[in-house]
Amino acid sequence: MREHFDGKNIDRFPIAMAYVPWQEFEGMYDDLEKAYCAGTIFPELDKPFTGRRCVS
Amino acid sequence: MREKEQLLRDIGMADFVLIELALYLDTHPHDRRAQEYFNHYNRIKNQMEKEFSQKYFPLNLRLTDCSDEWRWGGAPLPWEGECA
Repeated sequence: MREHFDGKNIDRFPIAMAYVPWQEFEGMYDDLEKAYCAGTIFPELDKPFTGRRCVS
Repeated sequence: MREKEQLLRDIGMADFVLIELALYLDTHPHDRRAQEYFNHYNRIKNQMEKEFSQKYFPLNLRLTDCSDEWRWGGAPLPWEGECA
């Protein structure tokens, strides 16, 4: 699946389709207490809810 | 927090890490680094579970070794407030 959508030619993707970038393993929180409270071991998925729209 | 509660909490955290890694490995089955992390935390969790079961009470039937006495029934029941 990853080979088809490497993201460079995103303007040629069919419209009205949703695309989720592929997650790469960059490591995990080594402080398990922090991961446990954050609800994820992946720093890139630890997006605090700020009551506004998307958080990068 | 007494040692028993801390060990129980650590087992729960290790289990959480394994579930997270399993979710990642479901979609990335060949990711070598994620597999290594999984094996690492799996060993740690098994070791902690064994230690807890010997020191306090067996957490599940698989961990119950009835060398001297049958300890499976001895575990406190959830509604007895022990496992809070």
